[in-house]
Amino acid sequence: MLGAIFHDALKNLSGNLLRSGLTMLGVIIGVASVIAMMAIVEGGQIWLVSSIEKLGTNLLFVWKKRLTMEEKRMFAGRNLKLRYDDALAIRERFPDLKVAPIVEIDGQVKAGERNYSGRITGTSPEFSDIRNFHPAQGRFLQTTDIHTWNRSVVLGKTIAEVLYGSQPAIGQQLKIGEHRFTVIGVMEPKGEVYGQDRDEMVFIPVTTALRFFKGHDKIRSMIIHVPDRNQMEEVTHTLHQFLIQRHDGVDDIRVRNQGDFLGAVEQTIWTFRIVLGGVAIIALLVGGIGIMNIMLVTVTERTREIGLRKAIGATRKDILLQFLIESTTISVIGGCLGVILGIVAAYGFGNFVAKSMPGGGDWGAVIEPAAIGMAFVFAVAIGIGFGLFPAIKASKLDPAEALRYQ
Amino acid sequence: MSGNSAMLMTLRHISKIYTTGEVAVHALDDVNIEIQQGEFVAIIGQSGSGKTTLLDILGCLSHPTSGEYWLHGAHINKLPDSELTTIRNQQIGFIFQTFHLLPRKSALENVQLPLMYAGATRTKQQDRAREVLTMVGLQDRLTHHSNQLSGGQQQRVAIARALANKPALLLADEPTGNLDSQSGNEILSIFEELHHQGQTIVMITHDPLIARHADRCITLLDGRVLTDESTTFPTQPVLQEI
Repeated sequence: MLGAIFHDALKNLSGNLLRSGLTMLGVIIGVASVIAMMAIVEGGQIWLVSSIEKLGTNLLFVWKKRLTMEEKRMFAGRNLKLRYDDALAIRERFPDLKVAPIVEIDGQVKAGERNYSGRITGTSPEFSDIRNFHPAQGRFLQTTDIHTWNRSVVLGKTIAEVLYGSQPAIGQQLKIGEHRFTVIGVMEPKGEVYGQDRDEMVFIPVTTALRFFKGHDKIRSMIIHVPDRNQMEEVTHTLHQFLIQRHDGVDDIRVRNQGDFLGAVEQTIWTFRIVLGGVAIIALLVGGIGIMNIMLVTVTERTREIGLRKAIGATRKDILLQFLIESTTISVIGGCLGVILGIVAAYGFGNFVAKSMPGGGDWGAVIEPAAIGMAFVFAVAIGIGFGLFPAIKASKLDPAEALRYQ
Repeated sequence: MSGNSAMLMTLRHISKIYTTGEVAVHALDDVNIEIQQGEFVAIIGQSGSGKTTLLDILGCLSHPTSGEYWLHGAHINKLPDSELTTIRNQQIGFIFQTFHLLPRKSALENVQLPLMYAGATRTKQQDRAREVLTMVGLQDRLTHHSNQLSGGQQQRVAIARALANKPALLLADEPTGNLDSQSGNEILSIFEELHHQGQTIVMITHDPLIARHADRCITLLDGRVLTDESTTFPTQPVLQEI
């Protein structure tokens, strides 16, 4: 008998194709959005985690915390901000650590007719080793450059090509803003790392950057290499305390290692999962309400049929099953189509990000079979759940009244 | 009363009261009827006489407000809904004025329905459906859908459906009401043929001419039995009352 009921359900749905299709659309969109959202978040997590892993496990990052107005007022006059002195003090106090202070300047690099506008990084020789990023020609910054505020510049591969084409760049003179610099090195090609094109970087000594461009001694951040990775947590803590002490007891800096970033990413990803998953599930619920709505209409339209079926021997269970199978059929078919659409949408998004987002090349949508299973099971559950009320309503109809319903 | 094997149904002091708002309507008022197996009974009355209410009770579609109804030895008004469903399926064959065929199904599939609800296998359903459709002369129309059949043919499909589970009682509600007189006569002659084969038939109608095809005629008026007489003999009780 189940076979016959299922056959009837398909017949009824196909007899009202437009209506069934529109009802299904709700489920299709719901399931597709669950799958697409999950795939995008999953892909995003993998992308973020791999980006962070590229930072290196032995590295510490130090930067200035943003203070509230109130804190600024409260700590007025104390020795705040991250300064070049802080970097020097760390080197002196912890000789094992490699410290690269970082200053960023937005400026124009001019070589004759050609020029490049972008970011110029002021740093120290340690940067090259810490980042495992070395010159292909010439040399990187050296300690003497730092001490003498030397106006030497090291170019990323792309910049060298933009400014000099195939001509040798080493020894060439160029201007950054109003200041004349000499090219001492060109970096090896590295490509994009963590959303930043390494080949478009320009390096000058940190002291030069502060003296000629900033006019103060505040640095943006520091990258610190810790020789023993088992001591990361300990060093992170010690450094933090050391800097607080230097800042007159005010905690206005952040010291983070890779593990901290991974933890933060994990937390962020969960937030995304909950928010996006919630939105998708609401879409699915709306689809379920669509099913309930249409099933209520169907029950009313077919009141006389229900009356007749009951008169000739259909039990409540038979009628309940008939309408439940009809609503479940909608959700199963809708669920299947939704899975297909969801996969297509997820890959479409992956391609879109890869093409349009800087550094997003590795961010593909990752579809977990579990997500597909979950979305599908959820859709079917919604078909049963939202079909239940109309089906119960149908099964409870009084046969005598239903037979004569006009 | 259930001991009498020839007695098919007994109604004792059956009343049905509908309450709409504050007004109570006595649709049936102390109705007493006994019907033997093999009888062809017409229940006649004008609209509002209570004949539809009586049909619902006879057909186990609703319970009387008071009184007792025995069908084939079963005390109907004491049974739960689930057992009434089985009784409707097994013992009663319904024939309606508007045929009540399911539109997206063929004649064969319509007749299979009560067999399906009885739990018969697909093959058995089809064999029996073919058999009863042949009995009503529709062996050439098995795969036709109701919109491809004339009114008379549709009603014959409905008769076949009513006969599918070999019911004890055939219950017809204005079976010729939606038909022209020729098709109506065809239906009535099927009833007569079934009656000859021993089928118990109760037919509800407002038309005395149609009631004459039965061999017993019960007249309802305002929810009460006015007359209950055999149509094959002179109508003595009516004459007396007049």
